[in-house]
Amino acid sequence: MPPSQDPFYAGLGQAVRIGTELLAALIVGGGLGWAVDTYLLDSGPWAMVGGLILGAIAGIRNAYRSAQQWPKS
Amino acid sequence: MEENPLHPFELHNYIPISLGGLDISINKAVVMMWVVVALVTLLMVMAGSARKLVPGKLQSLAEILVDFIRGIIIDTMGKDGMRFFPLIATLFLFILFCNLLGLIPGAYTVTSQIVVTAVFACSVYGLSVFMGFLLHGAKFVGILVPPGTPGWLLPLMVPIELVSQLARPLALAVRLFANMTAGHTILAVLFGLAISGGLLIGWLPFAFTIAINGLEVAIAFIQAYIFTVLTCVYLGDAFHLHGHDEHAH
Repeated sequence: MPPSQDPFYAGLGQAVRIGTELLAALIVGGGLGWAVDTYLLDSGPWAMVGGLILGAIAGIRNAYRSAQQWPKS
Repeated sequence: MEENPLHPFELHNYIPISLGGLDISINKAVVMMWVVVALVTLLMVMAGSARKLVPGKLQSLAEILVDFIRGIIIDTMGKDGMRFFPLIATLFLFILFCNLLGLIPGAYTVTSQIVVTAVFACSVYGLSVFMGFLLHGAKFVGILVPPGTPGWLLPLMVPIELVSQLARPLALAVRLFANMTAGHTILAVLFGLAISGGLLIGWLPFAFTIAINGLEVAIAFIQAYIFTVLTCVYLGDAFHLHGHDEHAH
């Protein structure tokens, strides 16, 4: 078996991936919203709130997607 | 003796150089990167110089590494991904050696600087976007629309996809940086406990440092592996637009 298909490595890789996947999307969404608030629209916190919601959805979607690539046992 | 557990991450300038306000001093991290580059080059050149049919120790080590990277590329990108082999092998070996050499006491972990990991992550992601536009032209914008999206969902799906695309380089950079920093901070804290505990109880945290050092070796491998796999996945996404989604179902 080639080492890249070793279930130990593949499983560990997937496990470590998922947590940051969730967090990063949230940060990017919130950050984009904040930037829109501060530099573009002066729209109070609302773009950031919307961005955080989008980020949360995107994060869950990313995590779900990487879980879909798990090898089926 | 009290020592700040974040002390190992401080950069000490050996030769301060300032170029037009830019700080390009030769510091610990720079020297460490040179050491890593020299070591990887030396290993690969020495391993490749003999080219025996029955490999010696060094050659078989290099062959295992090359086979490992080849396996990752073929699994994620397919055969035509092999044209990226030099880039991906360089990335993997550099990150792996940075992680591993950082575990030697007194050495510096280059990958615990977010600047370093962010530059890698951004250039990898930038390359994948560039390749996507090069191969698919304007159609590559379609990566923001998952296949099978009904038209009325587009205003919602495109921002979500945009955020999840932009999250990729951030996740890539933060994962490597955070894992290396966290591991070394734990080691430093435990060593501090071992020293301040004295002989009576200090052996306990010291035993832990040995165990965690073993764990850190594994983490060094796994983080280098994950960075490489995700590089391949992102490049593969740019190659086969929506190809992965079709295979998944």
